Amino acid sequence: MRILRFVGRRLLQLIPVLLGVVVLTFLLVRVLPGDPIRSILGPNATEADAAAARARFGLDQPLWKQFLDYLGGLFTGNFGTSIQSGSPVSGEMALRLGPTLELVVIAVAIAVVLAIWLGIWSARRADRLGDHTVRIFALFGNSIPEFWLGLVLILVGYAALGWFPAPSGRVDPDTNLTPLTGADLVDAVLTGNGPAMASAAAHLVLPVLTLVIGVLAPLLRSVRASALEVLHSEAYAAAAAHGLPERTLLRGYLRRATLVRLPSLAALVFGTAIGSTVLVEYVYSWQGFGQWALRGLLYRDYPVVQASVLIIALCYVLIFLIADVVHAVLDPRVRI
Amino acid sequence: MADPQLAPVVIGGGDRDRRFARALIYVGGAILVVAALAAVFAPLLSKWGPTEIDPAGTLATPGGAHLLGTDGNGMDVWSRVLHAARIDLGIAVCAVALAVVVGTLLGLLAGYLGGWVDDVLMRIVDIFQAFPTFILALAVAALLGDGFGNLVLTIAAVNAPAYARLVRAEVRTLREMAYIEAAKTSGASMFGILWRHLLPNSLTPVRVIAPLNCGWAMLTLAGLSFLGLGVTVPTAEWGSMISLGTSDVVAGRWWTSVPPGLALLVCVLGFSLLGEGLQERADAKRR
Repeated sequence: MRILRFVGRRLLQLIPVLLGVVVLTFLLVRVLPGDPIRSILGPNATEADAAAARARFGLDQPLWKQFLDYLGGLFTGNFGTSIQSGSPVSGEMALRLGPTLELVVIAVAIAVVLAIWLGIWSARRADRLGDHTVRIFALFGNSIPEFWLGLVLILVGYAALGWFPAPSGRVDPDTNLTPLTGADLVDAVLTGNGPAMASAAAHLVLPVLTLVIGVLAPLLRSVRASALEVLHSEAYAAAAAHGLPERTLLRGYLRRATLVRLPSLAALVFGTAIGSTVLVEYVYSWQGFGQWALRGLLYRDYPVVQASVLIIALCYVLIFLIADVVHAVLDPRVRI
Repeated sequence: MADPQLAPVVIGGGDRDRRFARALIYVGGAILVVAALAAVFAPLLSKWGPTEIDPAGTLATPGGAHLLGTDGNGMDVWSRVLHAARIDLGIAVCAVALAVVVGTLLGLLAGYLGGWVDDVLMRIVDIFQAFPTFILALAVAALLGDGFGNLVLTIAAVNAPAYARLVRAEVRTLREMAYIEAAKTSGASMFGILWRHLLPNSLTPVRVIAPLNCGWAMLTLAGLSFLGLGVTVPTAEWGSMISLGTSDVVAGRWWTSVPPGLALLVCVLGFSLLGEGLQERADAKRR
């Protein structure tokens, strides 16, 4: 019951933030230098052509009317029409979200599991060679530009060794995959398309690896720190002194302590991953949400920018909310 | 199976921690000094100018007339890698400095005044922090456009809210301290209290975060340039150099994009080591 009240209160607090995001993006995107209409018309278009196109997208209306139309549309799930492609933004977005979520979810999941395992391993060898290696790796991971790492992986994995497919998409078009969710591996499994499954998995390896290395470092540091805290605690010393079996020490003490901190960290890392995915998708021509949003921004496609910014902000704040709730459930000391 | 590693736990002594912290600070500092020297003396260290085109050809292999070969435009990669340090380090350091100044000022005001000033400032910070930072940087960069000053502004704008929040939190705890109360009763002005008492004491966490933030700022700048929203060719900058080398990578030509990325990695690592060392030292002191 308390949790429900907490969630309700937090959801209410989100309303002003999201409304602020909606108003700000609406205004800022219109202040951006550059004209979306000019970019879809040919070089020989007359002023009358431009005016007609402007009217078609409702851009000739006064600003307050445009805003009310946009806001009204949002309540019915209508994000408007893309100026570049002329098709509804919500449909385009649905097509693009799947591939990106597939990438980010797989990468964050792998990074979390690796971080728990390596972080505890490293803490138990504190100040010894293994620990130093892990810490230096984490420092490197924190400092590496992901887009460059992606290129190096392509250089090694594709150009030199030829083990992985060229960085030009998510699945081999010859496999005739029927798109359902947009997440190609999931689609291949759902339609029972074996060759597509292999192809999608092969295409996923390098971009996922790039993202994992990019997001692993902060997770690793946190798991190591909380495991060290437990190792230095009196409770742990007492448990070890009483001769509790190692498995109990590892599962009941070390791993549990790291799990409590994990939700908020995973949320933070998820945010980083959403940012990185724009770069990683660009490197691997992933054609996902990140690349779509970037294109919208570059071409000043107002509805696309508005929708993508809102969705990113919504995902971001909701993930933090979920993390707080999970944290409260896991750790009874948290007062909410 | 018994794991011998598990039983006794050696807790690092204070001295050892401090030595480790000092080593990190020295190594990080040394990397940054070398990078700064390379940036300053770049013209002396390379035969070719950073935007000079060799008529003998594009994509020359490393060795011979060009230490690291030439890129797709026929420009010397080694020279460009060196000269790019000026732009990358310059923008990153200026941006973080600006973010620290603006963020600290806002944080001080919000934390000390409280009330509606605090409410308004913190709601604005909330909106800024409703985005992953790189996404925000993309949007602000598209708004402001490129050029040295605008990129400094972009990266500063994205970072300032975090400093504002950090300093505000410090000020709110410090504000209740007895010595502030004492200063107030002895008739110190608000400006005096802010400047002489609250500012120096609330900067402790900022000092640790700022170097790490410089590294992050370099990565952001390079990322923006990589996507075409930051520094553009022909100006020498690591991100745009990597971007130009993207098509070469697929063809197996490493020298146009690997060297600038390595240079970027090493510089960011320098900042990370420095920041990690400062953090470690602060922790050792607290213990």
